[in-house]
Amino acid sequence: MKIALGVLICFPVLVRCIIGLPKVPDIPKLPKRDAPFQDVRTRLHRTHQDADEDSPEKYFHESTFHQHYDGRFADKKLNYDDRRKHLTALIQTYLSSMNDIGAETWIMHGSLLGWWWNRKILPWDSDLDVMVSEKSIHHLAQYYNMTVHHYQLPGLDEGRDYMLEVNPHYTNDSVESANKIDARWIDTDTGLFIDITTLRRNKTAQAQGIEGAMMVKDKHHYLYDDIFPLRETKFEGFPVKVPFAYSELLVEEYGERALTQMFFENHRFDPEKQEWVPLRYAADQHRLLPNGPLSHGTSYWGRRLPSDPG
Amino acid sequence: MAQQEMGYQDDNDGQERSLSEWQQELQTPFPRRPEWAGASVETSYAGPDLLYDPGYASHSARTLRHGDYTRRSAPLIDQVSNGWRNSEKTAGFYAAEPEDHDLRLCDLEDEGSCPNTTADLVRSRRFRRMLAVVLVAAVVLYYSWRWYLQPRLQEEWDLKQGFMPARSNGTYGIARAGHFEGTAIKWLDPELVPGGEGDSKGNRRLVFVGDIHGCKKELLHLLEKVGFDAKTDHLIATGDTVSKGPDNVGVLDELIRLKADSVRGNHEDRLLEAAKTLLGTNLPPESAAATSQGYAKDAKLLRELKPKHMRYLRDMPLMLRIPALPHASASRRKDKDRVHENIIVVHAGVVPHVPLEKQDPYFVMNMRSIDDRTHLPSALRETKKGKSRPWMEIWNWYNDRLFRGRSLKGFHLYSADEYEEEQLAESQGWLGSLWDGVFGTGKAKMKPQVVVYGHDSKAGLQMHRWSKGLDSGCVAGGKLTAMVLDAKGKTEIVQVGCKNYKT
Repeated sequence: MKIALGVLICFPVLVRCIIGLPKVPDIPKLPKRDAPFQDVRTRLHRTHQDADEDSPEKYFHESTFHQHYDGRFADKKLNYDDRRKHLTALIQTYLSSMNDIGAETWIMHGSLLGWWWNRKILPWDSDLDVMVSEKSIHHLAQYYNMTVHHYQLPGLDEGRDYMLEVNPHYTNDSVESANKIDARWIDTDTGLFIDITTLRRNKTAQAQGIEGAMMVKDKHHYLYDDIFPLRETKFEGFPVKVPFAYSELLVEEYGERALTQMFFENHRFDPEKQEWVPLRYAADQHRLLPNGPLSHGTSYWGRRLPSDPG
Repeated sequence: MAQQEMGYQDDNDGQERSLSEWQQELQTPFPRRPEWAGASVETSYAGPDLLYDPGYASHSARTLRHGDYTRRSAPLIDQVSNGWRNSEKTAGFYAAEPEDHDLRLCDLEDEGSCPNTTADLVRSRRFRRMLAVVLVAAVVLYYSWRWYLQPRLQEEWDLKQGFMPARSNGTYGIARAGHFEGTAIKWLDPELVPGGEGDSKGNRRLVFVGDIHGCKKELLHLLEKVGFDAKTDHLIATGDTVSKGPDNVGVLDELIRLKADSVRGNHEDRLLEAAKTLLGTNLPPESAAATSQGYAKDAKLLRELKPKHMRYLRDMPLMLRIPALPHASASRRKDKDRVHENIIVVHAGVVPHVPLEKQDPYFVMNMRSIDDRTHLPSALRETKKGKSRPWMEIWNWYNDRLFRGRSLKGFHLYSADEYEEEQLAESQGWLGSLWDGVFGTGKAKMKPQVVVYGHDSKAGLQMHRWSKGLDSGCVAGGKLTAMVLDAKGKTEIVQVGCKNYKT
């Protein structure tokens, strides 16, 4: 569970500005720039995005084969083990960079649930969710948009580049279905990314008298006092912040069963090892059926279940 | 002629009468069936008409032989009356005539038939009395089941189900859960325990106080009312000592001066987390518009606190445990005024049966209710789905069960040791468990514990056998409550009124 950080080698020296937005105040209406494939490509020869399929205002385009991969950098879906490895590296490098930059960010949704269970990413998750404050997104947009950060983490063969891309529509405060995500932290080698959303003040609700109302562009609503003050803790071995009333937010979003159910998505939580163990074989999986042996529950799941043959 | 029709050839066993005498007797004609009698009922009888058949005479002559008398004057047939026609037939006769049997039973005109006998029965007084008694008994039984027994059994069952794995695929207390910086569980200093090592005479007392929330004047008034003596008494606060009230720094100073213990409440938690970002910076304070009112107030308070206050807040554990008082008298099941067992002091509550180390710190400082099935706590009094109960209800039920020694078989297990124990118990079989029942297991069984808590001002003072809620809403104009525990285990409640400081 603890990853030795001493061997971490990172090269945040190269901060290349691929696209610079020149601030020309006289010309008020500059067309919104995009980051097309030719400008940002790494190893692929053709893009796997289909920008025509998405609505015209949508900035981020997901790949054609899976919604959690960036088509400019990914050509295929990763298998289970590779995906877990790369997602872990993704969040670790993100947290490290944000810590260096000094941006206030915290984990939410699926990542927060994984944190609650065992301080790790849930193995069946294919994306990660973080939030930033309004001040942070402005700072990132102004100084770190389209920056590439080079990291070489232990366990991964060579160093890889991570790109921070900010959605120009982040300035629009209202709920937009096409541009819910305000920024992305993208792994340019595998195409995996972290969705970054901003927690904004809900001016309409506050005008109506709800004190401390906050909102996010993907239609989530929160109260200021549920998120702040943030708690400092650890996630995948790296320092991270979580919201103040984390359990309440989790129960509200996912229900009580998400915090107590040990069998989910073909995985079983091992209380002794404190890990989600995949049930890879059909013999194991049939036990999850409604009338199977596990439907009546066991007193101590760590022992009574068959050990994973894998 | 009679001889021919007799058909019995071999019975010449020495009769005294001669054959001619017999012939004379038997040749007297039978009386004819009178016309007024109508047709005989037995018209379907296919056999010989025994009485009118001359052959019958020979049969009756044979039976005469077995009798002991001889009649010379009149034939036997003259003595036969026809009264048999009016009497009831025997069962054997009925068996031979099924159709008549039915007609006889349902014939409404006949007195002996079923409908008529039933009607007679119903009309009879005795039967009606019996019926009335049976009906009343049935009604009483039914309603007592429905209104009294069944809900109680259902309630017991529901409460028990929350602890069993059968309905849920997991339970609260398995996951790693939240994060707590500081001491999670602290035992009270043994010197301070009434009747303990440092107090052989049993003079010491423990004074538990509910949410103070910065009401310093009321706190001093209460200590005076209790007769607090710093040499023998020890003050234990249930958290939320600061925020909302008029003199937060003053309260902290007083607690530090008295060397009081306190557990961490949700407001102290907020202050400590906010301190990480706010303290040590020279940034201008954030306004309430940029943050929230609560946050702005906390920020303001943090600027007033000194390092010794911060140290005191950080030293507050999540739970404080007090061992059972050595001098306490024997405990009884329903005694609310005494505490004989281990005490756990928390700010909001604990979930029963889950080990203390596995309780999520956020819930320990904020919970008011528990979900029925999963036992997941909630800060709300009632969750949206409506399947929650006040946590102390389940806590009291569980500890009462422990007190009575009822088995916890089938309940959730949280560690390998518990599992091993259960396996051992199961492998013993009925003889082993009988032995254990008689001679005792010798293993330490789980003991019930008393919880002292605050946080729920709306509920007010809540004194039950296993849980003592001491928050009586002082800062909102209610009362400030203290529970005084002496060495013998006796508790006393002392309250003072408070001014309303809520703006």
